[in-house]
Amino acid sequence: MQIPLEELTITPGSACQGCGAALAARLAFKAIGPNAIRHRVPCCPDSTTAHPSASSVFESGGAMLTGTWRGLKAIGRTDVQVVGFFGDGGTYDIGLQSLSAAAERNENIWVITKDNEAYMNTGNQRSGATPIFARTSTTPVGSVTKGKQMRKKQIAKIFAAHGIPYLATASVGYPEDLIAKINYGKTVKGFKMLIIQSPCPVGWRYDGSKTIEMARLGVQTGIWPLYEIIDGEKLKLNYKPRELKPVTEYLKPQARFRHLTDDNISLIQEETAKEWETLLKSDELGRVLL
Amino acid sequence: MIGIRIHGRGGQGAVTASRLLADASYRDGKFSQAIPMYGTERRGAPLVAYVRIDDVRVRERELVHEPDVVIVLDPLLSKKQSVASGLKKGGLLILNSSLPPEKVEIAGDIKIATVDATKIALETLKLPITNTAILGAFSKSVGYPTMESIEKSIRNQFPGRVGEMNIAAIHQSYEEVTPAVQATHTEPVVEESDIAVGGYGVLKDVSSWRVFTPIIDLDKCTGCRACWLFCPETAIQWKDNRPEIEYHKCKGCGICVEECPVKCIAFERVVA
Repeated sequence: MQIPLEELTITPGSACQGCGAALAARLAFKAIGPNAIRHRVPCCPDSTTAHPSASSVFESGGAMLTGTWRGLKAIGRTDVQVVGFFGDGGTYDIGLQSLSAAAERNENIWVITKDNEAYMNTGNQRSGATPIFARTSTTPVGSVTKGKQMRKKQIAKIFAAHGIPYLATASVGYPEDLIAKINYGKTVKGFKMLIIQSPCPVGWRYDGSKTIEMARLGVQTGIWPLYEIIDGEKLKLNYKPRELKPVTEYLKPQARFRHLTDDNISLIQEETAKEWETLLKSDELGRVLL
Repeated sequence: MIGIRIHGRGGQGAVTASRLLADASYRDGKFSQAIPMYGTERRGAPLVAYVRIDDVRVRERELVHEPDVVIVLDPLLSKKQSVASGLKKGGLLILNSSLPPEKVEIAGDIKIATVDATKIALETLKLPITNTAILGAFSKSVGYPTMESIEKSIRNQFPGRVGEMNIAAIHQSYEEVTPAVQATHTEPVVEESDIAVGGYGVLKDVSSWRVFTPIIDLDKCTGCRACWLFCPETAIQWKDNRPEIEYHKCKGCGICVEECPVKCIAFERVVA
């Protein structure tokens, strides 16, 4: 597949060195193309693009996209893609209600989430997207608690349950897959969602040069499986290795998981394996199993 | 009372340096304040922190607008005239630079001392985090806080092995710092870029964010586009089937160096 050479991002931006989200924005908007309106809610400063853009509060992401789409429809510009490029806070937590409402109404919009697994812009506070046992500034490692005690929210399944026409997960480690998913989504009318895992060197605490490696390991260990769900029922796994790598390969280089005991790791391994089994079965049957 | 301003980049520990300095001074029986400057503290973005040290209780609560001492943690920021802005006459500028103070092109009625803190940090910590390395130079040049107090503060902040590595760094910089000399330049150099790059949106030049610079060996390049594809800042342009780095966009993250399948991109520290 040919990845377009044209760059739509205006750089250099103000993202950190080795930012996964800046790369996610660059790749996603390469595929979206210039004929789009981009909306944002508070998030890390990823790559700025040349699209017309507006910012709003966390809670109103879905409402803002809906309004823009309805306005475009009224003036007959249905060729324009309406894209919300949100962080995990704007999707998993604070922005969930308005996005859920927009999904339920099946508005013709894109929601692209760059999931860096915490509120990284304000200094690494835990979010619904933070994985279990991860150390953040609000779930520190001390004598009583050892990182976040709750699991990561299964946002893809929540939105799949809305029966939206297209939902997919992607990773900055697999740009061809990411771009192919957006290219397919552009042909779909209705609520489209793409969740991109974008590693954060500052919050996850690894060296910035390893961002792509982290993203790849996330996929290869089964922590971040790549799949797409069509109409909320047909599931297709896009990356199916013969055997998954052990999760330690993903957890060990990240200092946010440095305190993990063997029990913790085996729990994560077990849950990942279980989730992977379900996904394999879903892929075989061609429908989502919860 | 002396006021201190610390210039650094996100990730070099300017805020930690201000706290260690205030803490060590307090252990010496002085009164002190550490003031971080809140803003967008991106990894690599220039930022400032302030310290006040006095023999009596410090009543001021504002930022230090006219410092007596300016500490610069970053070698590239050390070349900018604006680090000396607001510095009092006869004030001291402690720079992280491999140059001797006579060759530093910063003008004004000020004294300059230099120490190659990045080299020291890379030797002792194996990381370009220069905050502790420069504290030894501060202690030697200013006369206080004492090295024992800085050691105690560091042990308190970083228990264990990390603390010992940082203590090795302060001792090395205590030995290696040059004596302060009067600045020789009188005419300030006109600056092309602002040091206060931060905040949101599009920046002009981020080359001061880099510690290491990627250099492509085009003879070994196979034209696979991996570096171009994975560069978050579009610093690598694809021209005539060859990559070309636009250095004013490169923040020096090293993704291209990691991802190059034939390892034809070198990652070098370009000094001065």
